[in-house]
Amino acid sequence: MDMIYSMDILLSFVLLSVLFSFSTSRLVVMIRIVVLQGVVVSVAPFFLEDSMTAGTLVFTLSILTIRGIVIPWSIYAVVQKMGIKRALEINVGYHASLFFCLLLIVGAQMLSLKFNMMDFRGSTLMVSTAITLIMGGLFLLMARRNAIVMVLAYMMMENGISLLGAPLSAGAHTIVEFGILLDVLAGVMIMGIMLQSIQQKYVNLDTAQLRKLKE
Amino acid sequence: MLEIIFLVPFLSGLAVFFLPKTAGRVWMVLTGIIHLLLTARLWINPQAAMFGDYFRVCPEGLLSLSVISLLFLLISIYTTEYLNHSHIRHENIFNGSLLLFLSTMTLVTLSDHIMVMWIAIEATTLTSAPLIFIHGTPRALEATWKYLLICSVGIAMALLGSVLMTLAMDVGHVDIPVSFSALTGVAAQLDPVWLKAAFVFIFVGYGTKMGLAPMHTWLPDAHSEAPSPASTMLSGVLLNCAYLGIFKTNKIMVAAGLGSFSGMILMGFGLMSMLAAATFIIRQTEYKRMLAYSSIENMGIIAFGTGVGGIGAYGAILCLIHHSLIKSSLFLTSGNINAGYNTWLIDRVGNLAGRMPKTCTAFFSGFAALAGFPPFGMFIGELLIIVGVFRAGHYPMAAVFILSLCIIFAGFSNQIIKMSFGDAPENLPNEISEKAITVCPQYALLLTSLVLCVWMPDIFYQTIMDAAKAMGGGF
Repeated sequence: MDMIYSMDILLSFVLLSVLFSFSTSRLVVMIRIVVLQGVVVSVAPFFLEDSMTAGTLVFTLSILTIRGIVIPWSIYAVVQKMGIKRALEINVGYHASLFFCLLLIVGAQMLSLKFNMMDFRGSTLMVSTAITLIMGGLFLLMARRNAIVMVLAYMMMENGISLLGAPLSAGAHTIVEFGILLDVLAGVMIMGIMLQSIQQKYVNLDTAQLRKLKE
Repeated sequence: MLEIIFLVPFLSGLAVFFLPKTAGRVWMVLTGIIHLLLTARLWINPQAAMFGDYFRVCPEGLLSLSVISLLFLLISIYTTEYLNHSHIRHENIFNGSLLLFLSTMTLVTLSDHIMVMWIAIEATTLTSAPLIFIHGTPRALEATWKYLLICSVGIAMALLGSVLMTLAMDVGHVDIPVSFSALTGVAAQLDPVWLKAAFVFIFVGYGTKMGLAPMHTWLPDAHSEAPSPASTMLSGVLLNCAYLGIFKTNKIMVAAGLGSFSGMILMGFGLMSMLAAATFIIRQTEYKRMLAYSSIENMGIIAFGTGVGGIGAYGAILCLIHHSLIKSSLFLTSGNINAGYNTWLIDRVGNLAGRMPKTCTAFFSGFAALAGFPPFGMFIGELLIIVGVFRAGHYPMAAVFILSLCIIFAGFSNQIIKMSFGDAPENLPNEISEKAITVCPQYALLLTSLVLCVWMPDIFYQTIMDAAKAMGGGF
């Protein structure tokens, strides 16, 4: 039971981090936020599963390494290489975004209550946090125009799906995690190449410049 | 061992990255031949998978795999000549990615596990992205960025849908492997609310990849910016792979007694896609983009037919097969036109019949086939869908369906006739010789479509019937 409470405490930090990500323009902060979310999502099985086999342990640790170190480091390297500190290209202002995020957190709680998901695998915040991450990621994808922030928003969304998927797919846990990891890892790497190409061709990373094909 | 069919192109693809150019081209054609032989063997002697929980041959998968295999072989032959006059600098990356793309699409057709299917479809995005970006131009960059981002977000929705499917099992106290075949067997026990939610998310996810409106915005850009062999693969077979994900999930819905719910969604989005395509085809200025919009239309027709069910589902599968064959032929031909006129603009192409008669024959026949002229298969497929929708009593939807077909036909024919028989613009580049290797694959594709209309082998007919049966299909 204590473990479950610890999980909810960690998840409340994740909810706060979503709020923070909606109000910051600093890329390094955004990367740290996604790292925190990735780490919490990766360690969730430790708190939820009754028996942890050696295989699951090794797998969980590998996921933790990739989510917590490899992927953020790759994005950080791209940011450093490009020398960009702040992402100021936005479609929705920071105050409006923050207000939306508050509404989102409340809405997610109400939704999980409506679907009787307040006690999901013993955790009160699991489903509402997952919904907040998914919807928050989608919102950031639309509200920000900086290509790096869009990649981070995509990762946030994937974190939300992982959080929901990991405890649900107990039998196919490994394959779910493997799939998501492959997706995020390869996706982020390819998007990294795209980021560099966008900067080479357009000087900065504002995706609003990509409008040659607009009809 | 079933898995060998996707392992062969995967290993070949990796090898081609390190081979010299000429060897890479030969290797690609050889792989295409081996892949086709392995696929043909499945028809004669069905193979069991080493990992039976994850892979399985199903009728719709086998049909799609056969189309993919045949198309890839013809495309690889065409590509050997195409690469001589294209401006692709990193040829080994292009050829290697084409093979990896073939491998991932084969994986989709053989997947039975819901998560493996998702991984395979996501892998198709990752392996095809370099094909779109290969020219490295700002337009290619924009198309690739849109493709990656929109499809990745879409596929993430499909992942969420797959997760919700496990929730439907959990709530319904069903404890079986998360495979399409097993879930279809116990569909009635799954929780209907979560099953509906799962379908909606999977539909939106794979529908994005299939190019259904309003999630289609990446498709015209990606298909028009990729080199012709790649856009042929994207339009001719990748869309079918995404459709397979929706088709198999719809099978579960029908088995669970929720077919009317999923059917209405499929019909609604199908019609929306046809109307969106009609709007853009009429005022299109580039012929390759016009073909891309036509793909959106055809995916709409297929989704609509699947939603109609019954005889319409049979028509949808016919359309799926013939669309792949015909649209691939058109995309390859568009590469020839570009080589002859050095432009993608419709206004800058004219007198195709006089300047490039062999290409014009392929282009015009492809148009006639796609527009639904008899005796080509699209005619029969669309007719069956119309019969199906009338039988189901959805008269307003039938009216919108027929109206959209008419608008698209008018827009399409206007542009094609202008290109084929209109006056040629001045200052055209010198005429180029039409080598047999650049037109024969198109003729072969059109001929296959034609032959399948007048003579369909029993085993092929039976497989289509088996696939459609799950939707109450057949005569």
